[in-house]
Amino acid sequence: MNYEMTIGLEVHAELNTATKIYCGCKNSFGAQVNSNCCPICTGMPGTLPTLNEKVVEYAVKMGHALNCKINPVSKQDRKNYFYPDLPKAYQISQFDIPLCENGHLDVMIDEKGNTKRIGVTRIHIEEDAGKLLHDESFAGSLVDFNRCGVPLIEIVSEPDMHSSAEAKAYLETIKSILQYIDISDCKMQEGSIRCDINVSVARPGEPMGTRCEMKNVNTFSGAVRAIEYEAKRQIEVLEAGGEIHQETRRWDDAKGQNFLLRSKEDSHDYRYFPEPDLLTIVVDEEKIQKLKDELPELPNKKCKRYMDSYGLPHFDANLLTENPDKAAFFENCVSLKKCKTKSISNWLLGDVSRILNEKNITLSDTLLTAEKLTDMISLIEKGTISVTAGKTVLDEIILSDKLPGQVVEEKGLAQISDTGTLEAIVQSVMDANPKSIADYKGGKTNVIGFLVGQCMRQSKGQGNPALLKELIEKRIQKD
Amino acid sequence: MELFEMTAASLSEKLRKKECSAVEITRSVLGQISKKEEQIGSFVTVCEERAMKQAEEVDQKIAAGESLSPLAGIPVGVKDNICTKDVLTTCSSKMLYNFVPPYNATVVDRLERADAIMIGKCNMDEFAMGSSCETSYFKKTKNPWDPDCVPGGSSGGSAACVSAGEAVLSLGSDTGGSIRLPAAYCGVVGLKPTYGSVSRYGLVAFASSLDQIGPLGRSVEDVANLYSVICGRDPMDATSAVREYGNFAQGLNRSVQGMRIGIPKEYFGEGVEPEVKAAVMESVDMLVKEGAQTVPISLPSTDYALSAYYIISSAEASSNLARFDGVKYGYRAEGYANLTELYEKTRSEGFGDEVKRRIMLGTFVLSSGFYDAYYKRAKQMQQKIAQEYTEAFSKCDVIITPTSPSPAFKIGERADDPLKMYAADICTVTVNIAGLPAISVPCGTVSGGLPIGLQMIGPKFSEQVLLNAAGCFENLCGGFGVAPAMKG
Amino acid sequence: MQIDIQHIAKLSRLSIEEEKTEKFQKEMESIVAMCEKLPPMDSEYTAVDPSNPMQLRPDLVKPSLDREQLLQNAPQTQAGCVVVPKVVE
Repeated sequence: MNYEMTIGLEVHAELNTATKIYCGCKNSFGAQVNSNCCPICTGMPGTLPTLNEKVVEYAVKMGHALNCKINPVSKQDRKNYFYPDLPKAYQISQFDIPLCENGHLDVMIDEKGNTKRIGVTRIHIEEDAGKLLHDESFAGSLVDFNRCGVPLIEIVSEPDMHSSAEAKAYLETIKSILQYIDISDCKMQEGSIRCDINVSVARPGEPMGTRCEMKNVNTFSGAVRAIEYEAKRQIEVLEAGGEIHQETRRWDDAKGQNFLLRSKEDSHDYRYFPEPDLLTIVVDEEKIQKLKDELPELPNKKCKRYMDSYGLPHFDANLLTENPDKAAFFENCVSLKKCKTKSISNWLLGDVSRILNEKNITLSDTLLTAEKLTDMISLIEKGTISVTAGKTVLDEIILSDKLPGQVVEEKGLAQISDTGTLEAIVQSVMDANPKSIADYKGGKTNVIGFLVGQCMRQSKGQGNPALLKELIEKRIQKD
Repeated sequence: MELFEMTAASLSEKLRKKECSAVEITRSVLGQISKKEEQIGSFVTVCEERAMKQAEEVDQKIAAGESLSPLAGIPVGVKDNICTKDVLTTCSSKMLYNFVPPYNATVVDRLERADAIMIGKCNMDEFAMGSSCETSYFKKTKNPWDPDCVPGGSSGGSAACVSAGEAVLSLGSDTGGSIRLPAAYCGVVGLKPTYGSVSRYGLVAFASSLDQIGPLGRSVEDVANLYSVICGRDPMDATSAVREYGNFAQGLNRSVQGMRIGIPKEYFGEGVEPEVKAAVMESVDMLVKEGAQTVPISLPSTDYALSAYYIISSAEASSNLARFDGVKYGYRAEGYANLTELYEKTRSEGFGDEVKRRIMLGTFVLSSGFYDAYYKRAKQMQQKIAQEYTEAFSKCDVIITPTSPSPAFKIGERADDPLKMYAADICTVTVNIAGLPAISVPCGTVSGGLPIGLQMIGPKFSEQVLLNAAGCFENLCGGFGVAPAMKG
Repeated sequence: MQIDIQHIAKLSRLSIEEEKTEKFQKEMESIVAMCEKLPPMDSEYTAVDPSNPMQLRPDLVKPSLDREQLLQNAPQTQAGCVVVPKVVE
């Protein structure tokens, strides 16, 4: 039986402000336990929150990026529940009047650059909770309050996605936008983006099924697995004649399974009410407009532009625009007009990316400049060095301040394009391989590759292969 | 007259003239504490050493010829729900029996900057929930006018210590009348400032949207001086008003010339004891003779104020007090098997019954399915009450009512009947609901000898007007002082 | 109004002893009865007040509290953290 799945996502992104949302403690990851804390973020009696202005600005920026209506007047509310990582026993969040609502995001869903519009219900600001540490040697669980009060935005989508691929594309686009507008570090391994996933299934034409919520999804690939698993689980229940109950489940990525966390009956009664320690948030129209004007070109638009004005295929354009640093580097290279645009794309997405991945670093961690990369590529395009030599040059220049020309010289990588020298090599190879020549003349023209290879070997890799081929063909015809 | 009986203004004068030292003042007050504290029980903690050290520092400053604030060298009691760095802050609850804050409330910083001397931490109803000071985990404070009676609450210790000469001034907090009621019961002056004029940073929250710290003293000028020190915008409190304040003691002209006094009929009804009513009306007449005029007004929603107050304050309290769970500070129960048990045992053993009642009421009115019928309706009523005040203040400058329908009651008399206890706040809660300032001044005694309080209510940020009217009345009365039995 | 005192207590993380349940139940019901005097109102209720906007805090780092002081009141600590009974979620 055929089923259609429906997916809604709640994405939590930590904002990269200098301080926490309600106090002046440093907002940073990886500090010693309980060292970025004060009486306010640890909920000591009598302390009060003060809202960080950057948090409001960042959320409004994201609202603009996702085409939301920005509420010039909004408020914050308390969400009450007891848990050791929540020192006040309530989370300050936004309930009925979020900063941004009614937006949408166009997500590219195929190679041609076709998009699908996903509705964005709302974006609101809230505080993160602390972390519980578990270890056999501990008397119980330990609480580290460092993350308490780290600012978050929660982006809630409409249930507009119908496959795990769509969900993944949505998540990747959100991540890329967060990076473009530079409001989140987006470090998945540090948990700076997390999501809760709502999944339901229904037979085509029938009303939407009962949804289940999955928590604790920390990677995008995990999201795909979690969605596939949950849809399959629900279908199996329905196929066996059962029904789906609204419940919250916990995704365990290591086991590739989810587990019941709580049923609807046990669901929390959060007793939301307006936060009395904070007044109304008012963002004036001028500021709202200013934040809109400050938005950079966003990835979707940039991708489209790369396809239209550089003639790049969608695959390239999409990867190049994935993060703003890479896109900026690419555009710098193009603007130098030293080599073909497509070559720049190939090198950036090919060998440069490979090296970055191998070393687990980003472009900004390297000493590669647009100048150096395009110099290297143009050496290839001019025939000064071979592609293989180009890779050697890249390896050398990416982490040092050496220039491509310098490396070529030091390592003697320049190609031999002197016809006299090359003709001598061709002569000796042809003398040694009369059978190949006979084959060629007999119509097996592909032996030319073998002959060029022999010449390259004799030239220790430095012969200009195009020139060698030309010379060989000339010689054979002359014979 | 002993030093401990004097007003801050006269003590400050003496200091300036070098007729006494700060150490002598502090010693005099500590002497009175050692004489009376066992009987009255105003304090949870007396800061003897700390106070003497502070006094010595003030004397050094005087000797060095530094110019000093009017509160320099003046012993001040601080309610025990106001956080004091390195000094026990209990909220008179078992839950915080051992809590030593690593930070000061903003008002405490301001007191220190003014060189005031913190003499001790005042007893109160547990977490400021109560009208009698009887819900304290540690002790029941007695009324200095009659030790069989309650001092009123929740700032009972703050009022009692001033009335007993155990402090010259004190800080209390007022969520529904908690400064004014004990001020009335103990025969002292108590000011509940406009919401947002005094920082709440470091005040352990009961109901955040209603709580306000304010001064208690034995003279209007002293109260004006203390208020001038503690008021002002604080960037640590987002609800603190962004505005400038003058010096209220310097602005004290004690004139009611041309002042229109609103008399709301709802506050002089059957529930008010005749002697109280008579004393308040007589006081109004005195003010009229000084050039004021009276205007009959109506605040029709007063009857609903208590309901709205208990819903809103309990809702906020249920959330504010959720953080007391035995994990980070304060009391932690023993013998729990898991986290839920730790929470439940700690909270059940750490909170007293009145606190539990209010937490449960607050949880109930916010819980799923009841929010609209209770919390939302109470907030609507709050807006209505505030509007009625706004309309009333188009006809008058201040409103005068009794502070409480009756004088102090006997200890234990209302302890078993929460509703009867809540009724003591009937005249004071609307002021908090509307965020207004109000002052309670003594206006005579009933035949049994217990003091009566007169409440003056003004529009937001009209503290100077209230202090002037209160100051005028104080002059007509010939001043106030320590309770008769407490005199030196 | 009948109040489910045990449910409310549970939500509040309080446990009410058997012998006190009835007393609390009665008291709560009388308090709730008082609160029920509030008439339904058709006035618009809005929790926001744009005429009194909040001043926001500049994003400037302030020193955090020394860990020793931060944990000075904690009933149980280990390895620079407060300790709670083992939890899984």
